[in-house]
Amino acid sequence: MANLQVEICGVKFKNPVIAASGTYGFGREYDQLYDISAIGGISTKGMTLEPRLGNPVPRIAEGTSVILNAVGLQNPGVEHFIKYDLPYLKEKGIVIIANVAGKTLEDYGEICKRLDGLVDMVELNISCPNVRAGGMAFGIRPHSIAEVTRVARGGLNKTPLIVKLSPNVESISVNAQSAQDAGADCISLVNTFTGMVIDIESRKPVIANNTGGVSGAGIKPIAVKMVYEAAHAVKIPVIGMGGIMTGEDAIEFMMAGAKAVQVGTANFANAYAMPEIIAGMDAWLNAHGIADVNSIVDTVKLN
Amino acid sequence: MKDLLSTVKSNCRIAENIYMITLTLPEKLNLGGGQFVNLATGDNSLLLRRPLGVCTVDGYDVSLCYQVKGKGTKTLVGAKAGDKLKVLLPLGNGFDLSAYKKVAVLGGGVGIFPLIATIRANPDKTFYTYAGFRNKGAVCLLSELEKSERLTVTTDDGSFGVKGNAVSAYLADAENSAVDAIIACGPPVMLKALKTQLGERGINTPCFVSLEERMGCGVGACLVCVCKTTDGKNARVCKDGPVFNINEVEL
Repeated sequence: MANLQVEICGVKFKNPVIAASGTYGFGREYDQLYDISAIGGISTKGMTLEPRLGNPVPRIAEGTSVILNAVGLQNPGVEHFIKYDLPYLKEKGIVIIANVAGKTLEDYGEICKRLDGLVDMVELNISCPNVRAGGMAFGIRPHSIAEVTRVARGGLNKTPLIVKLSPNVESISVNAQSAQDAGADCISLVNTFTGMVIDIESRKPVIANNTGGVSGAGIKPIAVKMVYEAAHAVKIPVIGMGGIMTGEDAIEFMMAGAKAVQVGTANFANAYAMPEIIAGMDAWLNAHGIADVNSIVDTVKLN
Repeated sequence: MKDLLSTVKSNCRIAENIYMITLTLPEKLNLGGGQFVNLATGDNSLLLRRPLGVCTVDGYDVSLCYQVKGKGTKTLVGAKAGDKLKVLLPLGNGFDLSAYKKVAVLGGGVGIFPLIATIRANPDKTFYTYAGFRNKGAVCLLSELEKSERLTVTTDDGSFGVKGNAVSAYLADAENSAVDAIIACGPPVMLKALKTQLGERGINTPCFVSLEERMGCGVGACLVCVCKTTDGKNARVCKDGPVFNINEVEL
């Protein structure tokens, strides 16, 4: 058995496989299928200060090797999480990453302040909601990434800050650097790609929101490239994700430079995806005589 | 709730565009009427499972029916005896009829399948069933529906049984069939009509409807398949449902 433990910003993970935000709720449902204390960590459903009902249905569509979703940040609000879900997750002994979003800059600062010291890490969701100014998403432009990162950073004294980057950008390297320079302790990527699926019989988009975030196996090569670019643009650790379905996929992201990975859509295709990915990583490392998963990080040899 | 590797026992056409697939599970599970499964299509490029209502359970065998509609169900048609398919089950709450004796069953189209499972799971109850189909070609599984005390079959065009639909047939009969509960499953327009009609006629017999929605995880984690509740909140069709009291959901 290889060592699967990793450490990011001083936070120890029993293995590098983290449930991706929005696909795993607050862990309760998957805990009915297997003991979720087996996973490295959970990035919670994206939370806001107040509860949100989210978008109309349908909220999901499918393409070849991908899915699209537009849930619209339905969540019970941060206070509900603190009272109801946090104590439950604490008992599981896994790293708890609070994924947070806001409508305004102030929201980000406030929600971070509320969670400071309560969770192991905070992950900023800056690709979903729109800002006041011009409707431009927070996560697209380097200067707005820096601005929201600074505000969030100001709310956190004890808890490390992860900034989750959108792939729908001009330069992932520049955006990664912006987050780093503004005080992010870690970055995670990629969030979903914006896409559309049209029902050609009705000539209407399948998703009520018209567009949705594309995720799943089909985006993996693009995600691996972006993780590679981001990891080589910054000094802070990178958590990689985008289409990881197997242990080998997770290994690939780590070779591209990720210190840990997140698994999302795979949970829909295979309810036991996370434990199987963890076992798959261990099997691959053992088969290659590698004693420590950390030794494969950033070992891709470019042609 | 388990994700099991099932073996396809049979997969046959039972009506126009409707197939019944029977899966043999590696273990016996308790599957209640109105519960569903999340079935892999056999095409790994389709990441989502297909949520299908349980129709019949016989030992290790579970039968599900599906309408061929998109890529996933077209792929499922190709599943042959001996093929292996992953199936996540049992999912959802199902119909709880423990407090009732005489039940009106209203099914529309593919909505009849979970109702068949419910009739089979409650042999001690009396069922008055109203099954509505589009036309004669869509009529199926009459032998199962005939397990009811009384069965009325309708078609939209009158090509089989009574012309009309399950809701109109039930309402025409409501005075003769005193029931202590109504269960229904069918297209949104049918359930909406049922809710409106019950309201207008002041029928306050407890009524439970099984809803359908595009799903992601199937277990309640992803919040994709929500419906609006009358208290202004969202409920998860896969986990809090698919069966809801008709008064508690917006249709």
